[in-house]
Amino acid sequence: MQAAPTGGRAIDQVLTADAVSFAYGAHPVLDRVTLGVGSGEFVALVGPNGSGKSTLLRIMLGLLRPASGSVRIFGESPRHLEERWRVGYVPQRSSAAGDVPVTVEEVVATGRLARRGWWRRPGPADRAAVDHALSAVALSDLRHHPVRALSGGQEQRVLIARALAGDPELLVLDEPVAGVDAESQRLFRDSLVHLVREHRAAVLLVSHELGAVADDLDRIVVLRHRVVFDGPPSELARRGVSLGVHAEDLPLWLEGLR
Amino acid sequence: MGLPLPWPFDRDYMQLALAAGLVVGACGPLIGAFLVQRRLALMGDGLGHLAFAGIAAGLLLAVWPVWTAMIAAVGGAIAIEWLRSRGRASGDLALALFFYGGLAGGAVLSSRATGADANVVPWLFGSILTVEPGDVWTVVALGGFVVASVALAGRALLAVVLDEEAARVAGLPVDVLNALLAVLASVTIVAAMRVVGVLLVAALMVLPVASARLLARSFRTTLLAASAIGAGSVVAGLWLARRFALAPGGTIVLVAAAVFAVVASARTGSGAHSPAPPGTTGR
Repeated sequence: MQAAPTGGRAIDQVLTADAVSFAYGAHPVLDRVTLGVGSGEFVALVGPNGSGKSTLLRIMLGLLRPASGSVRIFGESPRHLEERWRVGYVPQRSSAAGDVPVTVEEVVATGRLARRGWWRRPGPADRAAVDHALSAVALSDLRHHPVRALSGGQEQRVLIARALAGDPELLVLDEPVAGVDAESQRLFRDSLVHLVREHRAAVLLVSHELGAVADDLDRIVVLRHRVVFDGPPSELARRGVSLGVHAEDLPLWLEGLR
Repeated sequence: MGLPLPWPFDRDYMQLALAAGLVVGACGPLIGAFLVQRRLALMGDGLGHLAFAGIAAGLLLAVWPVWTAMIAAVGGAIAIEWLRSRGRASGDLALALFFYGGLAGGAVLSSRATGADANVVPWLFGSILTVEPGDVWTVVALGGFVVASVALAGRALLAVVLDEEAARVAGLPVDVLNALLAVLASVTIVAAMRVVGVLLVAALMVLPVASARLLARSFRTTLLAASAIGAGSVVAGLWLARRFALAPGGTIVLVAAAVFAVVASARTGSGAHSPAPPGTTGR
């Protein structure tokens, strides 16, 4: 487990991967990957397509077992963590709507189930958490709208609100801003910064473009089957890689990491 | 029963048919909505075929076919779920396996059943006009189980059918909830097979949902509307069946299909459906 690099100050690690390796058949994907996310830290995990980001994410969430190495969430192995609601997960956009209409509020309310016990009826605290999550992503006005009538960016914010409704202490997001318009990116950035600053939650953002959040990150971890960079954005900027909203540098630099 | 109901429900046999039909018409779509949301609309059909094998086994062994159908459908539902979740077969491939296995098993078993009551036709196409008070109580009990389960676990089932992976990460007991949905689908099938028969069972679970999804904006109102359409189709189907001396099971399903045709064309005609805002992914 590595020490957190933030000013030499020891931080409680909420999520750690220790020498994690994984292969699909004979095709190695992750090679002794070690990284940590501290309490209240805002970390981006970036890498080119096929660099193992999604695999590492699935291992850290307990959806896949590593070939070797270990993962800890709040000090527990992912499969044995009892208080699963402490982890909020925003999957890649695709699954918010199905063949049957479902409203924004209905989807967001499912994010509360694990926390209160799935067989219980929602109480005042649950309704307040859903209200808060909806306003954090600026969807309060659309709460009774069917999800299938939303734009891509709005739908992505529904999934973020669903994760926020459980008041997570760690929020993990998989490619959340891919193909999302600028307005939604700004709202997305605001809701994440709100979560980190106001709720002291840790955020791990997996993406190949950092867009609007570049200035708010505590650390960037660059993955290409192994960790090739782990440090503050300023350090990456010193290497001549700019991270702004419309910067082309990061994707180009990532593609150059071969 | 002998309740003073207007024609065509003035006779005892029609009142028993109405009671069983209303329960099935209202409960079928409740479960069907979750299956449609998961894009497993044909699951009811696969389970119906398995139930057919169970019925044939019951006739062969001279036990009440409802129980053997229940065993076959619940066992099959859990096996389909196991195959699907372990990735051993895709959802529709797993269904196809049981679809044809069940039908072939039923055909073989029923060919060996030669008792006086060993007639599979009423089970294939339903025999709602011959239900007895005992049958109605069975249907009511099964329907009560379905309604109570949806009231208790409906929110969690919605979370799982919407996004199984996110539900798993959040710590919901996804495997238990999937098994519960499979069992509920089986129970619904068994309750409905006396009404419309195993070949048309799935229609009562899916067709009212297909109509309701065009009318409703939320999952909750879809459930309620689909239940109402299902129950209404039973009433209208029984009325038409008696008026024109038609097979009641098939008539009920045709009414449900006609409701869909009317709703779908009204929505298309008014242009009210899917004025998608820019950037929508086209669902």
